[in-house]
Amino acid sequence: MFPSLALAYLFLYICIALVVVGVILLFAMKMSHNGKRRKTAFYELKQRDYFTYLQTALTENSPLKLPPGKLAPLERRVIQDRLIEWIDQFKGEYRDKLIALCREAGFVEHDLKELGRLRYGRQIDAAYRLGGMRCPEAVPGLMELLKDEKPGPMAIMIGRSISRCTTRQGELKDMLALLLTKGKSIHHLAADILLETSLDTSRILIELLEDRNPDFVKVGLVAMWGQAVPEVMPALDRLVGAEHQDVRAEAVKLYLSASPALRDETILKLIQDTDPEVRAEVVQALGSKHASGSIPLLRKALRDEDWRVRYNSAESLSKLGEPGFEALCQAAVQGTGAEREIAMQQIESTMQHTRTEDRAVEQMIAHNKKRLLYDRYFGPVRENRTSKKRTGVATVGGDYTA
Amino acid sequence: MVAIYYVVFVNTLYFSILALSFRNIWTIFRRSHYSKYNTLSGSELVPSVSLLVPAYNEELTIIENVNCLMTLNYPTYEVIVVNDGSSDATLKILLEEYRLKPVPNTKIRGKIACQKIRGIYHNPEFPDLYVIDKENGGKADSLNAGINLSHYPLISSIDADSLLEKDALIRMARMYMENPEETVAIGGDVRIANGCKIENGAVQDVSLPRKIWPMFQSIEYLKAFLGGRIGWSHMNGLIIVSGAFGMFRKDAVIAVGGYRDGYPGEDMNIIIKLHRYMLENKLKYRVAFCPEAVCWTQAPDSYRILSSQRKRWGRGNLKNMLENRGMLFNPKYKVMGMVTMPYNVIFEALNPYFRITGLLALAGYVLLDMTQWPILVLFGLLNFVSGYLLSVGALVLEEIAFKRYNKLSDLVKMLVYSALKFVGYHQLGVLWRLQGHVQFMQNNNSWGTMTRQSWSEDEKKTSEAA
Repeated sequence: MFPSLALAYLFLYICIALVVVGVILLFAMKMSHNGKRRKTAFYELKQRDYFTYLQTALTENSPLKLPPGKLAPLERRVIQDRLIEWIDQFKGEYRDKLIALCREAGFVEHDLKELGRLRYGRQIDAAYRLGGMRCPEAVPGLMELLKDEKPGPMAIMIGRSISRCTTRQGELKDMLALLLTKGKSIHHLAADILLETSLDTSRILIELLEDRNPDFVKVGLVAMWGQAVPEVMPALDRLVGAEHQDVRAEAVKLYLSASPALRDETILKLIQDTDPEVRAEVVQALGSKHASGSIPLLRKALRDEDWRVRYNSAESLSKLGEPGFEALCQAAVQGTGAEREIAMQQIESTMQHTRTEDRAVEQMIAHNKKRLLYDRYFGPVRENRTSKKRTGVATVGGDYTA
Repeated sequence: MVAIYYVVFVNTLYFSILALSFRNIWTIFRRSHYSKYNTLSGSELVPSVSLLVPAYNEELTIIENVNCLMTLNYPTYEVIVVNDGSSDATLKILLEEYRLKPVPNTKIRGKIACQKIRGIYHNPEFPDLYVIDKENGGKADSLNAGINLSHYPLISSIDADSLLEKDALIRMARMYMENPEETVAIGGDVRIANGCKIENGAVQDVSLPRKIWPMFQSIEYLKAFLGGRIGWSHMNGLIIVSGAFGMFRKDAVIAVGGYRDGYPGEDMNIIIKLHRYMLENKLKYRVAFCPEAVCWTQAPDSYRILSSQRKRWGRGNLKNMLENRGMLFNPKYKVMGMVTMPYNVIFEALNPYFRITGLLALAGYVLLDMTQWPILVLFGLLNFVSGYLLSVGALVLEEIAFKRYNKLSDLVKMLVYSALKFVGYHQLGVLWRLQGHVQFMQNNNSWGTMTRQSWSEDEKKTSEAA
């Protein structure tokens, strides 16, 4: 009994002591945070005229002046934060002037020193701000920091800082290599980071797509989304036959969205790809390119084991005029199972869509032709379709709160 | 003495989890602080998300919530509201507000079983909003219907009585993008909106609830989310992602057959199923928690509704534990089998029995020998002080990383209620859980009573659903 009680008392005293420490800490932190918030608000108000001056002076030819008077450390931080915010928002000459002001005010120098400190928290804070101020001298230090960083949000932040700061393409690739060797599949995030750079991205993208490292290729492919870079087409053409499935799928997507014409042998090869994503992309592209010669291929793809391929094929057929629509009707009548289901769904969608929304004469003519085909295969269109409603299902509702 | 050992042991476990939360809090703080740095919310590289909003008799709050969801800072997403056979005007209000029209031959992508869909509504003027009207089937069934219609690879379940912060989704997506291959689910932080000033579908002024019941829940949520889930997610042992706000990889949810229908606790069930599926198939995975992605929710503000909710939770928890008892102490299920499940069975599901029998035994012991009364006092004090320490720990975590409540009076109020919680509220929690277990034994599967209150302070309307 005694040792148990003694243990219980010990536990109790420790808990009480920790509660007291915790409560004191809470009040101290709250007062400190509130004090800092109040001071920040005060300095923001105090520097309002200076911020207004900066906004006006940005459009003038003269360099920006430093804030007047001696500044308190928090006041400097308030100004620096505002400048970093503007650097992110502006581009070109305005951005350059703000960066120059950060240098002149000593913010860059201060944070470069902070980056070399031993305390991790201060290093990380400095890395964040140096990235914001686009400081090329910080890159070696940031690279060292990134090397030691575990995979996660801080590694991403440091990588982003490097991308913003660097003026050399090689450093950008080194940063990517460090990020990608941390064992996580972060190609989308890496592409997003890559696009933060002020360097010419088209050259970097070509280099990435031609690299032997599949991770670099994937980042290059992802970064290509929404970018028009005609120089990468030969590399894309080659990657369409790449060994890695995800590389091939991404390359096909980009290739098909950019390529004005598809060679027959390319289509045949891609439509037999083992990756359903690739097949789905190809059949979708066939519809948008109005390649009516591809109807037999699309008709066959309606029987594909993958839902996306079947769905895209049906949609593509519906875009290929009367021949495509007739192929859908044939599939709905002669086909079975999933093929019949998807064809029927697309036919009904096409009929409904054109009946209610197409008003132009040409579209009406096209619609009427489709309607004739429909009538031939399924009989006259019924205007009012009704669905049976089930009743009598027990109510299971109420509070959906967590 | 067993009771004292139990208290010491359970608290040691709680403190270990809290310690893990402290270990991670600085990273969370920095991640949250630096997130304004990047430009992800404008990036096309962010994965697209389908927001699934099950709605049952939500006529008072639904428009404000949908408006909130349609104005999030996120590049590509869609909102799918699933009207789960509401008996009020939820559907009518939605159709009128957004001028939605029935969509014939909608492309239903998924094949998860759900109740019959009466209609799907859409308006090209609001291209990212869909409304599914279906027969009543419960929240899980509604989520399954939403998954079937969803167009994007990520899904996010959101309660219709909750408001997301504008950058909540992008914060979650960022976490997903940091490890997309392994992440199957991410939970958000749920906070109590009662007492806050809500305008234009967003929390404008954070304040603590004025009523006693939501105030207790506010403390409880802080403790559970910050003090508990950060730690559990660190060791990949998170057993629940709140149904109010979570993000999932759709292919993983489909692989486990979607949400379980017909019983409360579907939010815990889907996470257990995901753990089980990934571990049985030897796939690397993680269930993460993103405390900086915040969702504000209306908490029950009366005894009747709160007790009904807690009994339902008790039933759901017990059902999940019984259904998955094979995972208990099974090394095949790693942290889930060896830590999370035993913890949930012993310290959550069986908690009322340990507490009540422990207290009765202690009381009996003291009655037999009145000179031993200090033991009873010691037991009570241990229980109180250790529990209070956990609350204080959670408040410290909040102050380090989030600082949502600025006023000093708020801090005092939270500390006072953290103490008051042990006088009545805590015991009621044990009682409600016990009653939930009784309902489970009686096969009582009703949802219970729930009221909704308009977000607008001017409108004091409430609606009730049973």
